[in-house]
Amino acid sequence: MILGDLLGTPVFDDDGVRLGRVADARFVVDGVPPQLMADARLLGLVVSPHSWSSFLGYERNSLTQPWPLPALLRWRHSGSFLVMWADIAMIGDGSVRLRRGYTAYSPALDGDGQE
Amino acid sequence: MKTPRPLVPVPPVAGRTLDAQLHLLDRQVLDNDGVPVTTVDDLELSPPGSGPEIPEGTPAPVITALLTGPILGTRIFGGRPPSSRLIRIPWKDVADVGVVVRLGVSGQNLDADWVERWIRDKIIARIPGGSRDPR
Repeated sequence: MILGDLLGTPVFDDDGVRLGRVADARFVVDGVPPQLMADARLLGLVVSPHSWSSFLGYERNSLTQPWPLPALLRWRHSGSFLVMWADIAMIGDGSVRLRRGYTAYSPALDGDGQE
Repeated sequence: MKTPRPLVPVPPVAGRTLDAQLHLLDRQVLDNDGVPVTTVDDLELSPPGSGPEIPEGTPAPVITALLTGPILGTRIFGGRPPSSRLIRIPWKDVADVGVVVRLGVSGQNLDADWVERWIRDKIIARIPGGSRDPR
């Protein structure tokens, strides 16, 4: 599976309601390192209801400069959420479907670019 | 379009978090000597299952390789090159992800910069003085 095919794909809930598009994929490096770096497993997908493009991740951090870019980009990505891998029911060619009762997590990262 | 509310904070995870668009894609790749190799154009993940449906309890895909290749045309006009045209740098060769992606192996043995090596050996080296080490 190539990640580029997944980015921008429309996301639907179990009832077929469109929630947005895949804006990003979040990985966590938490496996046992075989040699250099541990495996990076897919933690979940960031879904944005308005735009799947992301510019420097302003909508996921707390930066406020340079004015007015952060506010503008946050507004453009308002309503974004992170959905965990366990809540993804189907990844098809042109759509992603979530499980019934999925949980929408905050996509925010901390100042170091971490959760 | 329905937006779910309210958003729940993500439970703490033990490892380091990497958002593909923010921390990996388009980053420069350096080999273990600090020599630029390529940039990360895409990522290859392990297949999540045998079909599009994902049964509950399916292990999450992991990154198997960084992909690079001739993507300029598809960046402009859309789509992506066929999978067979993309060059893979295995994730097990990645040593660190920061401002750049550092590899733990030498770039000389990777397919990713074969074009540069070919131009060096076949064209630059045949120019008078071209085979001399500039340093």
